[in-house]
Amino acid sequence: MDEEPERAKRWEGGYERTWEVLKEDESGSLKATVEEILFQVIESHGQVRLGMMRHLHVVIDCSRSMDDHDLKPNRLTSTLKLMETFVDEYFDQNPISQLGLITTKNKRAEKLTDLAGNPKNHIVALKKAVDTLCVGEPSLYNSLNLAIQTLKHMPGHTSREILIVLSSLTTCDPANICELIKTLKALKVRVSVIGLSAEVRVCTVLTRETGGSYHVILDESHFKELLMLHVKPPPASSSSECSLIRMGFPQHIIASLTNQDAKPSFSMSHLDSSSGAGLSLGGYFCPQCQAKYTELPVECKVCGLTLVSAPHLARSFHHLFPLAAFTESPVDGLQDDRVCQACQGELKDKTAFTCPSCRSVFCVECDLFIHDSLHCCPCCLHSQSPP
Amino acid sequence: MASDDINLLVIVVDVNPIWWGQQAQRETELTLSKCLDAVMVLGNSHMAMSRTNKLAVIASHCQDSHFLYPGKSWGAGDSCEEDASSSGDGKYELLSVANNFIAEEIRKLIAKTDVTGNSTDTLLAGSLAKALCYINRVAKDHEVGQETKSRILVIKAAEDCALQYMNFMNVIFASQKQNILIDACVLDSDSGLLQQACDITGGLYLKIPQKVALAQYLLWVFLPDCEQRAQLVLPPPVHVDYRAACFCHRNLIEIGYVCSVCLSIFCNFSPICTTCETAFKIQLPQMVKPKKKKLKQQT
Repeated sequence: MDEEPERAKRWEGGYERTWEVLKEDESGSLKATVEEILFQVIESHGQVRLGMMRHLHVVIDCSRSMDDHDLKPNRLTSTLKLMETFVDEYFDQNPISQLGLITTKNKRAEKLTDLAGNPKNHIVALKKAVDTLCVGEPSLYNSLNLAIQTLKHMPGHTSREILIVLSSLTTCDPANICELIKTLKALKVRVSVIGLSAEVRVCTVLTRETGGSYHVILDESHFKELLMLHVKPPPASSSSECSLIRMGFPQHIIASLTNQDAKPSFSMSHLDSSSGAGLSLGGYFCPQCQAKYTELPVECKVCGLTLVSAPHLARSFHHLFPLAAFTESPVDGLQDDRVCQACQGELKDKTAFTCPSCRSVFCVECDLFIHDSLHCCPCCLHSQSPP
Repeated sequence: MASDDINLLVIVVDVNPIWWGQQAQRETELTLSKCLDAVMVLGNSHMAMSRTNKLAVIASHCQDSHFLYPGKSWGAGDSCEEDASSSGDGKYELLSVANNFIAEEIRKLIAKTDVTGNSTDTLLAGSLAKALCYINRVAKDHEVGQETKSRILVIKAAEDCALQYMNFMNVIFASQKQNILIDACVLDSDSGLLQQACDITGGLYLKIPQKVALAQYLLWVFLPDCEQRAQLVLPPPVHVDYRAACFCHRNLIEIGYVCSVCLSIFCNFSPICTTCETAFKIQLPQMVKPKKKKLKQQT
């Protein structure tokens, strides 16, 4: 019956002769093979094409099973709290991308927020959603359908993604989900699922066919880890189109009351909101149609031009030029005095890290800081060569 | 604000020997030693404000960045006590030790390093990166219950180096994430990079009108920390030019084309991206093909 290539479950496979993998060298030590196995996992990214402009829909299950108390205080509250952190990190790492939220319960799916580039609306909506009643069954078909309605109109060079947080083991669909999976594949939408209960076969098929990832959480910290995996831009599929996108870079006009030419005007982003934000003097003016906005990045409502500022694009550069991992070496082997060249502190730990291009030595703390936040080696910057 | 909070001020001084040499020939009012005197005054005042305040000074050179204070031998502080007792004017020991240290280190730095090759630009991005690593270490070393608030003050002399743009932006985003302010005190020509840094991290940018009064500006504008700044009337924020520069001509543009793969910015449409060499899809107008008349086949 199963013709598709299924990864065999561990209990289905035969005997693994694990002793044959390890080989001893002439002195009888196993160290070499162990290191080989360990370091096979660490691959350098190299120049992989990444999908920088992402349109991501997050589907949150609000069915009866979310009321369970295995995540404190209940699954829904814990999920929404982690989603707030996710939204912040997502817009920090992908400033020109957009995010939308969908909830599903009672065999229906509802849009919580539209696809937008501003994190504030999403966080407000997430905070309000803590009070929703968890009732009924989720519907995978309806939520995927709702997400496709907006995603199919997105231009071809962006990456279209859906992330589903599913806690229930069942789904109630009005039509055949296999047809929907075929549609998703044709539209090049990548669906990933994070399961809160157990592995569900339909999710496995869904993620395998669309090229996404499927994980089931073990506990809350694992949940956070899995969510953060989706913050980084995914590798772009080879079939996604590459094009030149026309963007505007508006100037920030700060006008004061003493300036005679300053005219108060309404901001276009506040037209829809009911919180009566009134006239203001300064802001960003679209270079094409002179409509005013208070924050960037935004898509101009009048002329459709995407408005960004140069630092927004610069934020994504470190994904394209990732910093190579530093090599570990024991401290005792160093001839010079044991000082970390970035923070000038003594090398107290057993291992030190060496940058492969400039051969400077760093301590563990600096290595972590450099790879997580800084994304550039401080001593390579002193070699005056252009990046 | 608890009185146990550690306030760390890192001063990055641009000691580009070429700029300072030219400066000495132009006008003798502000020399490198007078600039460092002003820096020492600021450092002493900062440490005198509170017992828990800390200071670090980095000299940014064409070849390298060097920590003027604290030095590597700070752990074994015995040799410094003799200098302290020789100050004799009743100054707080820590201040006189710091001053002597800074003076000694800058003397050694200028005497030791030669300017080789074509490198005439100050390595500001590298110094800022080292400052961030130092702040990170100090923040980790503190005891439980003590918070560390840090800020960086950059005293810039020479012009910007456009090659350092990407590294500079990485440093700025890293400091924004760690809530570290970057203030800038510019002596000569306006620096777009530092304006962006101050805007993004929430610091102050000031181009000094009169170089002679450097110490006065430093004490007035850059000594108060972030909580006190809200209550003072300080120089207003400058207008920052966030327009991007196109990769082909380096002009500032308002509307441009961005490659979706490598995010390079161009002012004109071109069929191939010069950075990542991807060919772009061009929307061609629909061609109307002339209808072919099928010839009847002679059977």
